[in-house]
Amino acid sequence: MDSQTTVLKPKRNLWRDIKRHRSIYLLLLIPMAYFIIFKYIPIWKGQIAFKNFMPRKGVLGSEWVGLANFQEFFHSFYFWELLRNTIMYSVGKLLISVPLSIILAVSLYECRIKVLRKTVQTLTYLPHFLSWVIMYGILLVLLAPGDGLLNDAIKAFGGKGIDFLTNVKAFPWVVLLSDAWKEMGWGAIIFIAALMGIDPTLFEAAMVEGSSALQRVRYITLPSIRPVIIMVVLLRLGTILSGGFNQLYMLYSPSVYSVGDIIDTWVFRGLQEGKFALATAVGLFKGVMGLILVIVSNRATKRISGSSLY
Amino acid sequence: MEIYETKTSLTVAKPSTVRLSASDKIFYGFIDVLLVLLFFIIAIPLWSTITLSFRPNDFIGTNLEGMFLMPWKWSTAAYKALMGNDGFLMAFGNSFKIMLAGVASALFLTIPLAYALSIRSLPGRAILTVIVLVPHMFDVGMIPSFLMVKDLGLIDHLAAVYLPTAVSTYNCLIMKGFFEGIPDELKESARIDGASEFYLLLRIIIPLSKPIIMSVGLFYAVSFWNDFFHAMLYLNSNNLMPLPILLRNILMASGMNEFVEVSAFGEAPIQAIKAASVFLAAIPMVIAYPFIQKYFAKGTLLGSIKG
Repeated sequence: MDSQTTVLKPKRNLWRDIKRHRSIYLLLLIPMAYFIIFKYIPIWKGQIAFKNFMPRKGVLGSEWVGLANFQEFFHSFYFWELLRNTIMYSVGKLLISVPLSIILAVSLYECRIKVLRKTVQTLTYLPHFLSWVIMYGILLVLLAPGDGLLNDAIKAFGGKGIDFLTNVKAFPWVVLLSDAWKEMGWGAIIFIAALMGIDPTLFEAAMVEGSSALQRVRYITLPSIRPVIIMVVLLRLGTILSGGFNQLYMLYSPSVYSVGDIIDTWVFRGLQEGKFALATAVGLFKGVMGLILVIVSNRATKRISGSSLY
Repeated sequence: MEIYETKTSLTVAKPSTVRLSASDKIFYGFIDVLLVLLFFIIAIPLWSTITLSFRPNDFIGTNLEGMFLMPWKWSTAAYKALMGNDGFLMAFGNSFKIMLAGVASALFLTIPLAYALSIRSLPGRAILTVIVLVPHMFDVGMIPSFLMVKDLGLIDHLAAVYLPTAVSTYNCLIMKGFFEGIPDELKESARIDGASEFYLLLRIIIPLSKPIIMSVGLFYAVSFWNDFFHAMLYLNSNNLMPLPILLRNILMASGMNEFVEVSAFGEAPIQAIKAASVFLAAIPMVIAYPFIQKYFAKGTLLGSIKG
């Protein structure tokens, strides 16, 4: 008898729980339908990466070709170029934006002039909300070869004007620095939140001990936000194969494809040119690698900081 | 609730009564100089774009001089030209439609999902979490999604722009975190009174969650307003063109003649028209910005990591 009740009890509870939440399940019907249609059917359609996809024949009707599409991609001359550009931009942005965001956050935290602090904080967050189309417009004002502000300055100092957006040497820097300009302030928010959590008595104690302001930054402020810095870096590494489609698509042109083409922009052109199966294979390659990276970086984050995003 | 009270504005008072040593003075001076420098680095590109948009047709001088042109010499010809242009107004309207319909459908899908995920006793919650996270972590790329939209017959409908991205997993998790922070006693007392879970959501959870719904709604609004990728992918006809696409066409045109939609401009220099269209496209974001900033919260911070 005893064993029977212990077996039955959770069952009855589960049923009761389900019944009690029936309106929630009803509420979930539309979101679930949405997920099936817009998230899961596309994943299923991803099988065309292994097929010789003909739009006429449809996803199911096209014939299987195994890994032929992947082989074509791995053996093509653009494979290494795409991979190199993509990683160059993600790592470059990480190396530039994260230190800048930390410097900005610490400076705002240490600044003793309230007006300056508020103004800079507000202004540096703003560009995050501007789209890359708008950013392109602003960059044209600055960088246009004939009448841009920067070329005016170069010419004023006797230099020769550069077309920054079509010059293979200048283009990567335009991408990296414009991203830093746009996202530096937004990236600083998380560090500012971490700084706000530092126990103020630490500073008071250090001040009593006669520490200098620089020592306090070096020995209190920076070590306190170290876990957050590590977390941000690890999570950014999880998206290393993204590189920033919207930015590169807006800024690049055929003359800088060799340094401006990343996996996502290539896939997009593949779609425009009707190379569905090949481009899907490239996208799927990126998706699988991205999944592995996200899982690894989340594991690492969890181990180091004790909490993860998921 | 706790989530929401974490402020990101800096309010820690630095002890100013303590006398500063010479090296500390240098340190704080350096910080101030650095911040002023950053101010100019962000402000100069914005200011040069704004002043360029007001530059009159007969302006002679360098760009540097243009930045210091006195406001009474400014010309609004570029704005008049754009605001009097049907193509521009239509694009503005299309973007607005996409934004409104997008935010409405996004919240309609995100709120129930986030609420269900926040109920700890919900049978099947773990499965639901997996269902939501898998597509987020495993991205198969744009082509399968494109084929789906095509099969649904949504090509050349505004819905194709906002439906595929209507649920952002980050926004959903932010909202779920907020819902979880609402004290259980509140929900329990309503349940004891015999309220259904649906009633609970409608009458207790949503009214208590106005700030998070506002901020998530604003984040959605920003992303729909700024989207040009999906519009480029799915919209072909000119009368559906949203502002980012039109703006891109205006910016890419080296002469206005190349740009058929906006052809009747003679009053303002072409550079001024480009800059003015940039500024007009940015205005809704600039207006919404103080509200967005007001709703910064710890929950939204997590989302900002990935952007």
